[in-house]
Amino acid sequence: MAEQLPALILLAPLFGALLVGLAGPRDRRVCFPVVLGALAVSLCSAVGVLVRVLAGGPVDYFVGGWSEPLGIGIQLRVDTLNGLVLVVIAVVFVLVGVFSIRRAGEENTEKSPQYYTLFLLLAVGVFGMTVTGDAFNLYVLVEVSSLTGYALIAMGSSPRGTVAAFNYVVMGTIGASFYLLGVGYLYMATGALNMAQIHEIVATTGAGGSRTVLVAFILILAGLWTKMAFFPLHGWLPNAYGYCPSTSSSVLAPLVTKVYIYVMIRVMLGVFGAEWIFEHVGWTNIVVWLATVAILAGSLLALAQTEVRKMLCYLIVAEVGYMVGGAWLANRWGMAGAVYHIVADALMTLCLFLAVNIIVKRTGRLRMDAFDGLFRKMPLTMAGFAVGALAMIGIPPTAGFFSKWYLLRGGIESGHFEYVAALLLSSLVNAVLFFRLFERAFFGGNPAGGHHPDRTAAESGPTQQGWVGDSTLLGGEARASTLGPLLAAAALVVAVGLLNGPIVSAILRYFENMPVLGAP
Amino acid sequence: MKKFALVAVIVTGSLLLYAVGDFPAFGDAKSPANAGVEGGFSVSRYYITETAADTAVPNIVTAVLADYRGYDTFFETTVIFIAGLAIFAILRVANPGAPDRRDRPSSDSGVEGDHNRVIIGMTCRLLIPVIQLFALYVVAHGHHSPGGGFQGGVMLGASFILIAIASDLDTALRRFSERRYLALGCVGILIYGGFGLLCQLLDRHFLDYGVLHKLMGVTPVMARSHSMLGVEIGVAFTVTSVMFAIYANLSTRGELRSGL
Repeated sequence: MAEQLPALILLAPLFGALLVGLAGPRDRRVCFPVVLGALAVSLCSAVGVLVRVLAGGPVDYFVGGWSEPLGIGIQLRVDTLNGLVLVVIAVVFVLVGVFSIRRAGEENTEKSPQYYTLFLLLAVGVFGMTVTGDAFNLYVLVEVSSLTGYALIAMGSSPRGTVAAFNYVVMGTIGASFYLLGVGYLYMATGALNMAQIHEIVATTGAGGSRTVLVAFILILAGLWTKMAFFPLHGWLPNAYGYCPSTSSSVLAPLVTKVYIYVMIRVMLGVFGAEWIFEHVGWTNIVVWLATVAILAGSLLALAQTEVRKMLCYLIVAEVGYMVGGAWLANRWGMAGAVYHIVADALMTLCLFLAVNIIVKRTGRLRMDAFDGLFRKMPLTMAGFAVGALAMIGIPPTAGFFSKWYLLRGGIESGHFEYVAALLLSSLVNAVLFFRLFERAFFGGNPAGGHHPDRTAAESGPTQQGWVGDSTLLGGEARASTLGPLLAAAALVVAVGLLNGPIVSAILRYFENMPVLGAP
Repeated sequence: MKKFALVAVIVTGSLLLYAVGDFPAFGDAKSPANAGVEGGFSVSRYYITETAADTAVPNIVTAVLADYRGYDTFFETTVIFIAGLAIFAILRVANPGAPDRRDRPSSDSGVEGDHNRVIIGMTCRLLIPVIQLFALYVVAHGHHSPGGGFQGGVMLGASFILIAIASDLDTALRRFSERRYLALGCVGILIYGGFGLLCQLLDRHFLDYGVLHKLMGVTPVMARSHSMLGVEIGVAFTVTSVMFAIYANLSTRGELRSGL
């Protein structure tokens, strides 16, 4: 049984999706238990695999039993790197699954079985992308996760969401095509699709010096950068995540860009190899500069936003810059920082999106003024939001502080001070952004005057009407099913921060046999 | 914006041209994809020499697609299912006024229209059974000759679309209702995945068909061959349903009324 765990991670949601698709239309009550059960199995399997990996090294799984000779079948491979990412993905999915119990029903009344089927298939896609050890299989699962993502975005009631989804389809398809073209070139030059096999051929034979492999690398990188919204290829992201149903944005925003960062790191270290990338190709300077520009542009664009969800979207663009830069610093602290930041950023983005989605739903407003006086009305939601925001700014003991710490250390050790400066400036911008919201939440929204003395009754009207609060114990506080995941995410942001030592040392151990990343 | 696009196209194009110089010659038997890098291991050589012994399937392409890399094909089938489901999820409008669908007069009841209907109707009546029969042959014979679940499924789906085009969507929906195609799309993947799951229950890895010989009463190699047929049938179910679902939703903007 333990041997089946790597496959079980994605097969559980897959069969769950089919069950929801078959039984859901007859009886909608089936959906929720199946979704949660399937995701719980994934989470347990992911944790089980990670424990096995940490105890005894990488775990291989050969689909179809084709293990000998290597490369004829498809290999799944879990090591420290993707073991960690798998657990984070599973955690995010379980939390959003709980969060979605009512939301999905409200926003997609007629189609909630289809919504849940797509939701679970998205899980299949991102788990599959993370667990695979085969360059072409990765593409197939990119398709699974992208198509479900497009549908989940377009299913909302907002027409802007549908337009944004269409833009995303175009951009996403271009990105995926570039990746596929790159894999084709790679196959032409190496005759292999198995990642470990390609790595060996590139590292030990003359194929590593061929122009075809170089162009393959450029194509793959361009494709992944489009998919992860690396500035200036970010155009699809803000509207797609800003105007989609709340359950969709809660799961897409924390995961999708992060999974592509993981894929980029996997392609760099596992397919082409760190030596080839940093010594043979050696574009460290260019890419770190690109990342610097991405961080600055993302932060400045975030500053210009008036809607909270779109502001968060631009922060994601900046965060992508953090991780791409960290991974390309060509030293182990930067690389470890990037991997740790995948974990940290997934959790803090989850935290922020859950909180903002609750707030937007409750107040019926997308703009900053939704936050007026919220610390009084929704103290727990705001507490969750605050944890996410402090992590985004980088205040200890949240995970965001430690990931920035490692990234900064990597930047200083490799002498990329432009990256260091951008990182610090972006933290500053985040502080400005979030403290502006905190100020509103503490002092704003007092009808008797206060922060907005000239506010008319008509303007504050919608707030009152849009308020769906009831007179329970916590007044305007959200339901337990939405509040629970938010608070759990907030707790995890702090927990991952406090556990940064063991996590980062496990990641650093993974880089031990990559001398190009610097001696321990 | 146009200028930017032009620059992007030129950069990409020159990048592709830059790589061309290093390509192996067209049809080169010694290229890495055919013979491995510097005489090393080659996947394609393995497939060509060992497929018959491994799987007893004469069509190597099918063996690669449905067995060696069956995991990819499994997810490609899922992708097709997702495409159908996504179109349903985005376009389908719930119509509370469903009963009035039957009351609507046929869109072209003119004399000329009726006249055309007779010819088209009779032609389709003759053609559709043949198309469907051939589709089933393509599905069933995929592991021996070119064909398989995708191609056969498309043909089957097309036969239902032909019914819808020749008469109207309601006629086609009476034969292949919405509830049914949504369910059959799932069932197809369930068949494919079920083969994989069965292997896991027998303590092997996912889609390791060889172990199914215990259930089929044949040799492990023949079990692989039979299982390939099984998964192709699963693929055909999904592709048929999705083809028709996409047509039905796209042609009516999700209303499932009258159609083109």
